[in-house]
Amino acid sequence: MNLRTRRGALSAAGLLGTGIALAACGGDTASGGAAAPAASSGPVKLVYWGAFAANLGKAQEEVVKQFNDSQKTVTVEHQFQGSYEELANKLTAALQAKQAPDMAVLSDVWWYKFYLNKAIQPLDDLMKAEKVDTKDYIESLFNEYVQGGKSYALPFARSTPLFYYNKDAYKKAGLPDRAPKTWDEFVKDFAPKLKGAIDPKQFVFANGGYSAWIFQGVIWQFGGAYSDKDFKMTIGEPKGVQAGEFYRDSIKAGWAQSVKNDTDEFKQMNAVNIINSTGSLVGILDAAKGKFEVGTGFLPEGPAGFGCPTGGAGVAILSGLAKEKQQAAMQYIAFATSPKVQAVWSQQTGYMPVRKAAIESKEMQDFIKTNPNFKTALDQLPKTKFQDSARVFVPNGDQILAKGLERILVNQEAPSTVFKEVADTLTKEAEPVIKARKALGA
Amino acid sequence: MERREEARVITIQALRVPRPATVPSPSATPAWSRDLLVFLAFITPNVVTLCVFSYWPMLRNLWLSFTYWDMIAPEPLWIGLDNWIEVLTSATFWTVLRNTLVFTVGSVGITIMIALGLSLLLNQKRRGRNFVRAAMFAPAILPGSAIALVWTFLLAPYYGLISQGATALGMPMTRWQNDPYWAMPTVILVIIWKSTGYDAVIFLAGLQGIPRELYEAARVDGANAWQRFVNVTVPGLSPVAFFLTVTSILSSFQAFDVIRVMTGGGPVYATTTLIYQVYSEAFVGFNAGRAATYATILFGLMLAITVVQIRMVEKRVTYE
Repeated sequence: MNLRTRRGALSAAGLLGTGIALAACGGDTASGGAAAPAASSGPVKLVYWGAFAANLGKAQEEVVKQFNDSQKTVTVEHQFQGSYEELANKLTAALQAKQAPDMAVLSDVWWYKFYLNKAIQPLDDLMKAEKVDTKDYIESLFNEYVQGGKSYALPFARSTPLFYYNKDAYKKAGLPDRAPKTWDEFVKDFAPKLKGAIDPKQFVFANGGYSAWIFQGVIWQFGGAYSDKDFKMTIGEPKGVQAGEFYRDSIKAGWAQSVKNDTDEFKQMNAVNIINSTGSLVGILDAAKGKFEVGTGFLPEGPAGFGCPTGGAGVAILSGLAKEKQQAAMQYIAFATSPKVQAVWSQQTGYMPVRKAAIESKEMQDFIKTNPNFKTALDQLPKTKFQDSARVFVPNGDQILAKGLERILVNQEAPSTVFKEVADTLTKEAEPVIKARKALGA
Repeated sequence: MERREEARVITIQALRVPRPATVPSPSATPAWSRDLLVFLAFITPNVVTLCVFSYWPMLRNLWLSFTYWDMIAPEPLWIGLDNWIEVLTSATFWTVLRNTLVFTVGSVGITIMIALGLSLLLNQKRRGRNFVRAAMFAPAILPGSAIALVWTFLLAPYYGLISQGATALGMPMTRWQNDPYWAMPTVILVIIWKSTGYDAVIFLAGLQGIPRELYEAARVDGANAWQRFVNVTVPGLSPVAFFLTVTSILSSFQAFDVIRVMTGGGPVYATTTLIYQVYSEAFVGFNAGRAATYATILFGLMLAITVVQIRMVEKRVTYE
């Protein structure tokens, strides 16, 4: 009997632990933590959280190294934190633990959350002191981080979706060496020809990755939108649903497959068409080297014409730093977004240069001539638009939309029901944002 | 019957423990208070740790379930029962609950069956027995995330060993981890692979603890192999089986690493269990209040299951 009660108590105690251990799950926070305050004599030390892996990570390390070598007053320590999502996750925990870094890369869907919570600081005075030529930044990209007349980040690794195709497969199918102009052309002409020409193991098109970002373009191409500026969710309206039907049919008709990682499928020649970030360009070209030829094009047009969002990440400075550190951080950001660095960074990654001077530079122009794939993104840029509030400003909006798309693509559920539910969820999730915006006077 | 037993235990203990009063006390402190001090000295560290790291977070967790908090705002916002109403009326909750049950029943049930079979085999004197025992136990000491990565490799479409084997046998190419029907069985399979060895070793220990005389007696009585299994092995193993069921169910409710690495809870919600939902609400959606609601539900469920197991099932367990 004694034994029994003791065991009962023990298992109950164990149980109690588990409900809670969850709360501790976020505990693996800032492993290097914030840098110690700099000694007055030595260089100012800054911790910078990055989100770039593989070839992008190497290029990022290179930018930091060049900065550290270029001067003696500031030392930046770059710490890789995983994907954009993982970084945002860790940053949230780090802020709670007061162990936040000094600078961080924040993607299109994350920076706003930190802005609303006053976790990142305005850069205007710092830019002025650093004599940053704000007019030389590509306006649309620069303005995306402006709130209430102030800049809260500077564009760094900015991208757009791009249509990638396997040139060898196109040749085999007797198709012209270009991306499809419209979805209609692709579905009625390209897809059947490709299907007939490629290996039965291969498939025509792969969906995957940041699906709600890619679909942002598609829904515009069909004349719909996720939401309007004021958080009225419009994804469930007929044009949005029509775009959803098109997505669902792509799977049903057998020319598209829903996969975990579309870039990998493209690199392994399983999929012969994908829509993915310009930031994947160099990785794809490297992987394809000696295996197949890669072509790129604008996104295909839908019934309502062209539609393509901007995306990618900027760099922000965390709030509450000592004056000296703030300026030092600005010094790094100015360097990383300078025309010279941007021209090199762009060639090493596929991200678009965020500076006009970088695009116009002889170096970049020469590079484009021999690498036409880099030109596609630059040519497409003027036609791109800032994304709908539902994806970039609603907390978790990206994931909510992606889940909805997955239900359509994987479970083949009806877009009319799914998008209505998604719209309801988004409306609810937007409430705190609308409140916070009012509090900030936005 | 039970009552009487209890009474007997108490009487025996009362007899064994000498009365403190019979020992002359050297100091002025009364004996009972010294006993109390000793008692406190022993339990305090434990109780304090439990309070700080278990009970307090649990209460805090319960409180959080009545708030909205994005984990950045300085203070959570009190919203009353909103989270509870929303969670309990959402289709997601029921999907997740069903997934949790399928996952638990599938992984625990099958693991215990296989483990029992394996232990019976390994309890016989056969060549290479020690090697097989060691090999079988190995997955239990590997980290779940490493196992999940290896299986992801094996299951990878086109080049993975399993996919190639399946294709060679004429099965259509399947994206096991990304298929709404196959994702859950795939995850369960990996969990079974990971935990069978451990369970089998525990069963083996249980088997070896069954006195040989019982088998001999059964044989003398003319019991055949099946009768010996049913009447000697099964009752003899029941404490071990009970222990394994309780601990396996609890750990399957908390299985996270394999799901996180292999499927991320998807596709859609296909492999999202309660614990995974807690994680994704908190650390993907940054909705600490809703995550706390799910965590509280998970806790309540585990508590209920354990209480039921201890109250009902243990009665049928034969302790020697």
